[in-house]
Amino acid sequence: MSRERLRTLLPFLVFALALAGFVTHRIGWLAPVESFLLRVTVPVQEGTSFVVRQLGDLAQTARDLRGLRQRNEELQAENARLLLEIVRLKEVEHEAVVLRDLLNFARAQPSYDIEGAHVVGRVIGSDPSNLQRYILLDIGREDGIARNMPVITDRGLVGRISEVGTGWSRVLLIIDVSSSVNALTQSTRASGLVQGEPDGSVIIRDIPQSDTISVGDTVFTSGLGGNLPRQLLIGQITGVERKDYDLYQQASVEPTVDFGRLEEVMVITGFAPIEEPQNSELGQ
Amino acid sequence: MTLYLVVPFLFAIAILQTSAVPHLTVWGVFPDVPVLVVASWGLLRGRREGAIWGLIGGMAVDLLSGLPAGAATLSLIAVGLLSGLAQTSAFRQHGILPVITIFLATIAYDLVTLLILGISGSRVLWLDSLIRIVLPSAVLNGALAPMVYWTMRSLYARFGSDEMGR
Repeated sequence: MSRERLRTLLPFLVFALALAGFVTHRIGWLAPVESFLLRVTVPVQEGTSFVVRQLGDLAQTARDLRGLRQRNEELQAENARLLLEIVRLKEVEHEAVVLRDLLNFARAQPSYDIEGAHVVGRVIGSDPSNLQRYILLDIGREDGIARNMPVITDRGLVGRISEVGTGWSRVLLIIDVSSSVNALTQSTRASGLVQGEPDGSVIIRDIPQSDTISVGDTVFTSGLGGNLPRQLLIGQITGVERKDYDLYQQASVEPTVDFGRLEEVMVITGFAPIEEPQNSELGQ
Repeated sequence: MTLYLVVPFLFAIAILQTSAVPHLTVWGVFPDVPVLVVASWGLLRGRREGAIWGLIGGMAVDLLSGLPAGAATLSLIAVGLLSGLAQTSAFRQHGILPVITIFLATIAYDLVTLLILGISGSRVLWLDSLIRIVLPSAVLNGALAPMVYWTMRSLYARFGSDEMGR
């Protein structure tokens, strides 16, 4: 059979072979051969499928890993942002509490025209020397602040404005040695002079021996001299010092204001001091 | 160290002294960083530079302080001069010298300040101030002296070879 003839017959031969295969398959003659071939090929198929599946899983894992890493970075960034937000909100909450207290105090004292119900002076610095007790505020002349104006918090008297600039002012605290404030005890109405001590403590002195003072009594401004409004809370008496040979007695006072933690204060702008102190800014 | 560095450095020290340092209270007093710095520099470079550092540092402190104008300047110049004197002493290499110098310099600083406060009409309680403020402050500054002196010596090794004013 020539090559030319074989090429002509090949399609018919293939068709005949396929037909024969189909017929033998249908009548079941090929079953043993098929069974044998399947028994041989199934494990290979299973192995191949396993490898392909594993490779697919690996590729998926790599894709998932890339996604997870990206998600992790996003979550970490979100976590950091939320932490900052928590810190910021805690600060806002703290500020809101302070401002609410100041506002409540301002509402309870309508007779004072208080600068700070709307613009609160923030403490931005302290005196660099151990020998003096001043604080620096971030409000000044442009906010209506003037020298000698009383400075308070909701807890009581802080001091008086001693120096004013355009956007700043300096406050001489009542715990400074050069500060003196006319005061009155609440229950016995004993009057004296509240002065600062070198270590930052406060005393009330020049109380006549005939007056009764007792531990726990509250000390207020008396308004005498006209340099400060009446009834601003100063502190509480913690100890009495009385000597028989002295004309006057004195007592130690625990200020109600925590001078170590001053953050926001209010300035009473509606109060005009009657006389200008001579020797010291807070002298009366 | 040139003036271009000294001026901002001492102003930064003064700002630090008015903002952060008052919160670091020990025995009712806080460290006087300008005194520590000026005294340390005076010890390292002598009276002339000590006085110049005192002048600049004092002006910075005066600007931020409620003290009478010039009080801190005069006090810190005194500190610079005093510590500059110690530089010429026979014990200049001794480790205890910065502690003693800064202890004495702090007392001098506070006494000059109190004197100026008294002259300017402020109420001054000399004995109380000496016992409750000046001495504790001097002890605290003396305790911090080795650390600050060591820091300033490192600064001097890095920047200090230039004469002031160049």
